[in-house]
Amino acid sequence: MKRADIGIGIGLLFLCIWLFWYVGRYRPVEVYFYGPDFFPRVLSVIMMILGLALILNAFAGNSLKKTERIDPRGFIRMLISIGICMGYLFLMKILGFASATFIFLFILMSFLKQRGIIIRILSSLITSIVVWTIFKYFLVIPLPEGVFF
Amino acid sequence: MQFDILLEAFSKVLLNPINFFFVFIGVTAGIIVGALPGLTATMGVALLIPFTYRLEPVQGLIMLVGLFCGGIYGGSISAILIGIPGTPSAAATILDGYEMGKKGLAGKAIGMATLASFFGGTSGALIMTFCSPQLAKIALKFGPPEFFALAFFGLGIIITISGKSLLKGLISGIFGLMITMIGYDPLSGCPRLTFGSTELLGGITLIPVLIGLFGYSQVFQGIEKILVLPTVKSELKHIIPKLNEIKSVFKTMVKSALIGTFIGAVPGTGCDIAAFVSYGEARRSSKNPEKFGTGILEGVAAPEAGNNGATGGAMIPMLTLGVPGDAVTAVLMGALTIHGFQPGPLLIKDHPGVVYPIFAGMILAQFVMLGVGLGGMRFFARIINIDRRIMTPIIFFLCVVGSYAMRFSFFDVGVSLIIGVIAYFMNYYGFPGSPILLALILGPMVEQNLRRSLIISHGNPFIFITRPISAAFIIIGIFVMIASYYRIKKAMEREEKRVSAERK
Repeated sequence: MKRADIGIGIGLLFLCIWLFWYVGRYRPVEVYFYGPDFFPRVLSVIMMILGLALILNAFAGNSLKKTERIDPRGFIRMLISIGICMGYLFLMKILGFASATFIFLFILMSFLKQRGIIIRILSSLITSIVVWTIFKYFLVIPLPEGVFF
Repeated sequence: MQFDILLEAFSKVLLNPINFFFVFIGVTAGIIVGALPGLTATMGVALLIPFTYRLEPVQGLIMLVGLFCGGIYGGSISAILIGIPGTPSAAATILDGYEMGKKGLAGKAIGMATLASFFGGTSGALIMTFCSPQLAKIALKFGPPEFFALAFFGLGIIITISGKSLLKGLISGIFGLMITMIGYDPLSGCPRLTFGSTELLGGITLIPVLIGLFGYSQVFQGIEKILVLPTVKSELKHIIPKLNEIKSVFKTMVKSALIGTFIGAVPGTGCDIAAFVSYGEARRSSKNPEKFGTGILEGVAAPEAGNNGATGGAMIPMLTLGVPGDAVTAVLMGALTIHGFQPGPLLIKDHPGVVYPIFAGMILAQFVMLGVGLGGMRFFARIINIDRRIMTPIIFFLCVVGSYAMRFSFFDVGVSLIIGVIAYFMNYYGFPGSPILLALILGPMVEQNLRRSLIISHGNPFIFITRPISAAFIIIGIFVMIASYYRIKKAMEREEKRVSAERK
């Protein structure tokens, strides 16, 4: 994890230098000498020290050993599922909460290779209807309504 | 202790079937979440919060408390049946519970785990009920320096929840504090780090961050590595242990419940440590320590009484000082805030009508847990077999709904997704998520009281060590940090030795 630690440490240093400079615009008024810029500046200094320590720690060879690696195929699967979620949020405004939820769950289960179309349809249908009913009639929380429901 | 209020709260909670219903829902959901490996009680509470928005605060909060208790107990079911702890707090239960399962005694092991959990949980809840008001009375004398010192003490917990790297835990904590900077400055009203966005003026709310940290990140990991768990084959027979078996472990249960409650009350320790310490103590004081690990009832009773005792213990600092005992109580603290109650010394004084029913609800939850646990054991055992390809999309969906429902905002869903992706990478690079949550909760308290104290003292930082209570918190905080640091270091060394021995 040495390279990752060095990269993250450098990123933190840049982020905190920028933050230290950026919060300077929140000038303290007379009453509050310790104004809105005080705490963010304290935090950015501490974070800079920690970032530097992370880099030095990595160079000293004390970085943690990587126990798990990101599976590239799994990672792509995760990205696609986020894409499906984005589509779901878009669809929710057009079709309505319950119908979009049913489609989202069915597509995601199919994408994750769940066997048996009946199981997929039933579990998607039951989940979307149960949660929709709880939110709409029991908790009275307004949900996006589209063409359907 | 206002006994009249306590009795009224008990009658209000115990005699109202609606309250019983919510506790039942919470406990059952908790057992299911706890029994499913990979889903934690923290995640369960985070996902259930949106369902409490429109409920009466007491009903919503006792449901969450029920989920907390049920979740900690539920972990033992998968620990005994498949040798995988449903929650980290059930890790110690595997040592003897799984061995009993392999001998065909899974039913008896789960029965004992249920009884011990009930005993530990009830003891912890009773101690919480009687100790919390006394501690809150002392805390009422606090001023800004004391509150800052208290928050400093609370942030010291970051060290204990930092996992393998203290440095990375601290970075996570500071990152969390930085998130709290976004939005209006609480003292001057100046908008900070909003970059012109009106949605950010109110700051980043707790729930989307919480769901991102504990919900989405686990969902993403689940999707990356679709987990297939071994099927439960064990038959569940002889569920209720015999009276002489209960008698033989009674002393262990009492001791473990007390140890668990005490450990739970120390901020930053949590149910998992309580379980291991209780198991260790039971083994140390046993006449037959060599039998531990071979599948004995005492080895199941000790960790289960300990980890459930810790649930009541962990609530004490959260309710009285506003400092969460562990990650789950940190989420519960967020739930209290969402319902308009600020955890801390004033909570019991200002809102006895909410706090005392929580005490009563927690005790009721133990009885419900006993009934549901013993009655629904076969059902929960079957739940473990549900395919992850069905569960993961459903949890994904609950995360979306949960982050949307608080403000009916798609912006919050986006924030939650982004935090989830960050948390997913953080996990791979060894940065723990819990310090962020802790910092989010304690951040405003730290900043406001630090600045107020410095304004009062005209910039003199010695104000924090010249006032006795404040000085005591800072000294204890430093002591806890140092002790935790060495404890983690020791544990890491032990782990390294174990790994190198295994390689040889």
